[in-house]
Amino acid sequence: MTVPIWSKSEDQGGKTHTMDFPENLPSPDIGRLEQIVSHFFPKALHIVLDSRIPSLQSRGRTRDRSSGGLNVKKSDKWFNLIMGDRPAALDKLHSWHRNILDSMIIDIILIHPTDDDDDHGNVRSAETVIERWVVQYENPLIMSPQTSDPSTRYQKVYKKAIILLRSLYAQTRLLPAYRVSRQLSSSLASSRYEMVYKVSSFSDVFSPPVTETMKEFRFSPVEVPPGRLCASVTYRSDLSDFNLGAHITLPPRIITDYVGSPATDPMRFFPSPGQSFEATSFHFQGRAGRPPLTTSSASERPHSWTSGFHRPPTPNQSFSPDFHWSRTDGGDSHHQLSPPFSPSGSPSTPRGSYSPRINVRPGTAPVTIPSSATFNRYVSSNFSEPSRNPLPPFSPKSTRRSPSSQDSLPGIALYKSSRSGESPSGLINHYPGHKLTKDSKYDSGRFSGLLSSSGSPRFGFSRSPSRLSSDLEDPDCSCPFDFDDVDESVLQYSQSLDRRKTSSSISQSLPIGRKSQDAAVGVLVQMLKTAPPLRQDSSTYMASSMSGVQREGSSVSGAESEFSMARSTSDALEELRNYKQLKDLLLSKSKSVGGATRVH
Amino acid sequence: MFSLLTVMADSGPKKAQYERDPYTHTVAHEALETKSEVESFEIREVLRCILHTIVFHRALGLIRPKDIDLELFDITYVQCGEIEVEKKIDDKIEQFVTWIGKHPNKKSQICLTFYEVKTKQPSWFTNKIERLYWEQWNINLSAFQPPTKPPVGKSHHSKLVMDPGEESEDISSRRTLLEQSLQEVLFQIIKFVNEKKDHVPPINDGVIYCPFEITFPSSSDSTFGMDMLKRMLHSGGHPSMLS
Repeated sequence: MTVPIWSKSEDQGGKTHTMDFPENLPSPDIGRLEQIVSHFFPKALHIVLDSRIPSLQSRGRTRDRSSGGLNVKKSDKWFNLIMGDRPAALDKLHSWHRNILDSMIIDIILIHPTDDDDDHGNVRSAETVIERWVVQYENPLIMSPQTSDPSTRYQKVYKKAIILLRSLYAQTRLLPAYRVSRQLSSSLASSRYEMVYKVSSFSDVFSPPVTETMKEFRFSPVEVPPGRLCASVTYRSDLSDFNLGAHITLPPRIITDYVGSPATDPMRFFPSPGQSFEATSFHFQGRAGRPPLTTSSASERPHSWTSGFHRPPTPNQSFSPDFHWSRTDGGDSHHQLSPPFSPSGSPSTPRGSYSPRINVRPGTAPVTIPSSATFNRYVSSNFSEPSRNPLPPFSPKSTRRSPSSQDSLPGIALYKSSRSGESPSGLINHYPGHKLTKDSKYDSGRFSGLLSSSGSPRFGFSRSPSRLSSDLEDPDCSCPFDFDDVDESVLQYSQSLDRRKTSSSISQSLPIGRKSQDAAVGVLVQMLKTAPPLRQDSSTYMASSMSGVQREGSSVSGAESEFSMARSTSDALEELRNYKQLKDLLLSKSKSVGGATRVH
Repeated sequence: MFSLLTVMADSGPKKAQYERDPYTHTVAHEALETKSEVESFEIREVLRCILHTIVFHRALGLIRPKDIDLELFDITYVQCGEIEVEKKIDDKIEQFVTWIGKHPNKKSQICLTFYEVKTKQPSWFTNKIERLYWEQWNINLSAFQPPTKPPVGKSHHSKLVMDPGEESEDISSRRTLLEQSLQEVLFQIIKFVNEKKDHVPPINDGVIYCPFEITFPSSSDSTFGMDMLKRMLHSGGHPSMLS
């Protein structure tokens, strides 16, 4: 039998024993039995307090599992139960227990707030004993005759003591106080609940009333001649009275994979409806439990760049479960969920298992911005055919469908282009005063600045020009920058662009209010920059504007100089009118949202 | 599907040559709800909890206990920390669950038996090595299909079933009941392992846990005696002492 130590040097605490062991026992047995009893107390104390008081939890208990008991102290091997390093506090606690005939009473006390307030309005605290563990060595006055072989008696006694401590250990995990102590140890320090202990040697100081809520469990005693080791526990079976759940706050958890942070993978992936929607991939909830499959809950989690997306989309709009992000690198489809975008701008994916729709409610969705090429196509067509509705072609209505990646998106270029190498957050940040840093790629309206760095599209804002025509007729669009609105916005910005040569000022002059506004404004800017001058030939304009789009860092003045085709006066007047309307609209909207910038 | 769970502890073998007197306890009755993947998981969790708790009290060698939190219930149980034990229990549970899946609506029993290995003189019917069973724990389960309930194409996608409406309420209430029952079972186990300790064989050096085996008879109406006889016959042919 693996009995760890049978030397008196292991007798911790230097206790003096007054127990009278039977003299007919061989002296080594007397010593061993005595040691069993004397070591039983600190071991029991360790087991109980380790499971209840976090500050007394042993360290090193879970380590070195592979090495087994190689690195275990001799003292820890008692009763074949490795508990880890015993805290010094426990040794001190037990040092007073010099007489093994004294009972050891361990009270687990819960400090909890009461409903009464003192004169100063502070909440009082009360102490309630929720558990009482009693370990004692009973020494009967009359010793029962020992029938078993004395030489093997201590082995049997030791074996039984081991079993007793096993069951005591298991019991500490089963009782309600264990869960409470776990909760308290994980909660904030400011919690008004606290679990403390008290060790005493006699119970008349505090005797918890055995009420209906208190139950008792008595462990079977272990006969240790001449007496026997006894252990029992009296505990409150119901701790719901303390309202622990309502008062304990969870500690702040650092979500390392916060969606949208630069440190995390910017590309998230919404699983398809056919896929399992288990919890782990849904980081909106901070990994708390299973992910709700509802759009509203998915949009609850705030992101720094999605403040406009927090409104749950209308029921008729598909949301996250239908979302696919396609990666240009052809990555696997098991990315974590992407930010709670509205489905707008989902890049066209080869999977094609879903039809993305833009959440075009005002102020809630990013507007898919068409490429400059498509935009310019419309612009030129408008100018060349005055009879047609001279509306800018890039209304969100027309740009809603799933675009392909890698197309230039002037609107997006305005947004956080400095973070092109970081998280995509390609969504327009509509926070007032949000920094819209200038990027050299702005001028060309190229979205690739945001897209190319990681080789993966951020948002589905890019789209293929060929899709534009099919999107014009979609009636679901209700973005603020509808045809008419956009028209006005274009008018506004065309005037402002005439005075500005760089897109930085343009970007700064954008009314920052809503994402859709920013997106549309960005488009407007680009449109205006590349808009043909009144006297420019249409064909020349097309060619030059295309090249202007492709060319990076093109200046506005250069673009303007190419717009020298002749225009009719009526067209010009119409255009001017539209621009004025746009300007007014933008001004009104910037005022309404308290925009920090003004459109000049 | 419901499963009925009872745990009986029987200490001391039935054979006359053993000195110890056998006794039997019935621990508790449980109701396990079993339903597709949820049921298997519940069975696994419950069985793992019960078996490990029992083995922990019989692993009397030097161990480093490991606390395990159940996922389905608010219960923490203790494992003895030995990897071989964990693997053995998991393997047996998997076999049992597979067997249950093939034999629904049948009462089944899973037995955890501790034995001692004794060497005997080779005789005409036994080999040298013999197992002496000194404690047996019986876990009875019965599973049956619930009436009605459209199986539903309820998504094969969602493993953790969130049944709408009453079904979820039923599941949660049954699960609560199951949790309480499981807790009661664990209390009973602790009580039983405490009551009788004399029959536990002495601890040998180097042996961490008492050798045990987990069996589940394929026949639903086999008696305990038949099981014992079967085991004795089988043990005669086992070359290995610790399986």
